[in-house]
Amino acid sequence: MIDAVKLTKRYGELTVLDEITEHISAGEKVVIVGPSGGGKSTFLRCLNCMEEPTSGEVIFDGKLVSYIDPYLHDDLIAVSATCKKLVANGMNKKDAVEKIKAEKLLRKNEGGEFKTAYKHLEKEICIDLNIARRDIGMVFQHFNLFNNLTVMENLTLAPVHLKIKTKEEAEAKATELLHRIGLYDKKDVYPSTLSGGQKQRIAIIRALAMDPKVMLFDEPTSALDPEMVGEVLELIKQLANEGMTMVIVTHEMGFAREVATRMLFVAGGKIAESATPEEFFDHPKHPRLQEFLSKVIKN
Amino acid sequence: MGGFDRKIQKFWTYFYEYGGYNDVLIGLRNTLLIAVIGLVIGVVIGTLIAAVRVMPKEKKATGILNSICDVYVSFFRGTPMVVQLLLAYYVLLPLLGLNFSSLAVSITVFGLNSGAYVSEIMRSGIQSVDPGQMEAGRALGLNFVTTMTRIIVPQAVKNILPTLGNEFIVLVKETSIVSFVGTADLYKAFNDMGTNSYEFMVPYIVMALIYIVLVLVITFMVKALERSLGKSDRRS
Ligand SMILES: Nc1ncnc2c1ncn2[C@@H]1O[C@H](COP(=O)(O)OP(=O)(O)O)[C@@H](O)[C@H]1O
Ligand SMILES: [Mg+2]
Repeated sequence: MIDAVKLTKRYGELTVLDEITEHISAGEKVVIVGPSGGGKSTFLRCLNCMEEPTSGEVIFDGKLVSYIDPYLHDDLIAVSATCKKLVANGMNKKDAVEKIKAEKLLRKNEGGEFKTAYKHLEKEICIDLNIARRDIGMVFQHFNLFNNLTVMENLTLAPVHLKIKTKEEAEAKATELLHRIGLYDKKDVYPSTLSGGQKQRIAIIRALAMDPKVMLFDEPTSALDPEMVGEVLELIKQLANEGMTMVIVTHEMGFAREVATRMLFVAGGKIAESATPEEFFDHPKHPRLQEFLSKVIKN
Repeated sequence: MGGFDRKIQKFWTYFYEYGGYNDVLIGLRNTLLIAVIGLVIGVVIGTLIAAVRVMPKEKKATGILNSICDVYVSFFRGTPMVVQLLLAYYVLLPLLGLNFSSLAVSITVFGLNSGAYVSEIMRSGIQSVDPGQMEAGRALGLNFVTTMTRIIVPQAVKNILPTLGNEFIVLVKETSIVSFVGTADLYKAFNDMGTNSYEFMVPYIVMALIYIVLVLVITFMVKALERSLGKSDRRS
């Protein structure tokens, strides 16, 4: 469903994600844990290109969501001016391509043929980011409900504006979702009148109102008062049981163990460990994960 | 104070019997037209410039747009509005061979000038909106423009309403310069009365009172608007 290929993100000198390659299949519930500042949010936000990868690609449902990374396409490199020059100097084409990839030799302008091939490839494999995002729900730590809209408007704005649903359909769906989380009586209030737990549950159904194929959660309970964590986790668990594909960044280890089909440990810009929850918690292999777990579980 | 009584009498004669109130009404209308339409144009231009300012910076087109906005804002903030008005009416129009009324030119110059100021107000308003609001909109698949117009700008406008009200008051007061190009405004109406009657004291006092009342009414209206827009903050 989602593929990250050699995903790299740098902020200036700081490499936050270092050539991460990861495949997330339909139906998986992938839970990401790791030390703060390790790149969990950045990884998650690259999956729907809220952060633009520095290099590497993100593929959703077989379509490229990020920009083309020419270094991942040998055919493209082969028609570059740089490659032609190397070949003209007597190098064999395959070696030339490898050399260009290894030494990152592509320049800004690689000639007309490269440009044409790039455009062609773009047409073939890319999907408009705004269209891809309709299928990728995202839930934020700080909820980010639209403050100037009522709950009902929060739930219907995007589906109606993007013409995915008529106003009636969107309101029917929103009504159903609000009943489901027991907040139908809040449909006409503004977000500022809601508790944190209510806000986050509405943020979750706002994403669901788009009928997404996958949901990304970035520490959905970290900004909540402890007594409200349960209701949000409960809703996420329900969605998991219904078969929603999910990627969840969280510090709630008990919840992670319960809901995950696979655990990822992200630290130092790499996925240091990927395992089933049982393996992950009971037999962690990477020393940094062992250290991390011992700290988290002690607290 | 017998002398003052006579001055009032004289003013009344010119104001009422000789029909000076007509000029005052026309002046009032023009003053409001220039300020209101000027502010509307200013808000539209200001919002567009502010949106350019906060656009993601990667693209080359954004850089060019940004430079254009820089020049625009520097010019309109860097020169007196009278100068802009005179340039527009006595230089630009003849050069372009156009023939617009001085009122139309005044409204346009006020709009363009206000746009430069409102853009700065609007930018700070947009920046005062939590970036999470833009992220949430974009994550749902809404594009930059839609998220801007449906989510960010409404919240920004609410935040800057008091400042925008101030800008409106500034515009109302500044309208007193449009007589430089012959537009009939409040100042011109009272000044004409003074010139005709050789008596300026009372006309200018009345003019000052009208400006004060205008400003008070506008302040009151802005407050009322703020209250009604504040509903999304109220706890139910
Ligand atoms: N916009 C940014 N500019 C510069 N550095 C950033 C930015 N966003 C994140 N970082 C840095 O990237 C690293 C990883 O951040 P993040 O992905 O938020 O980690 P996590 O979610 O695991 O705590 C941190 O060191 C953080 O300071
Ligand atoms: Mg984070």
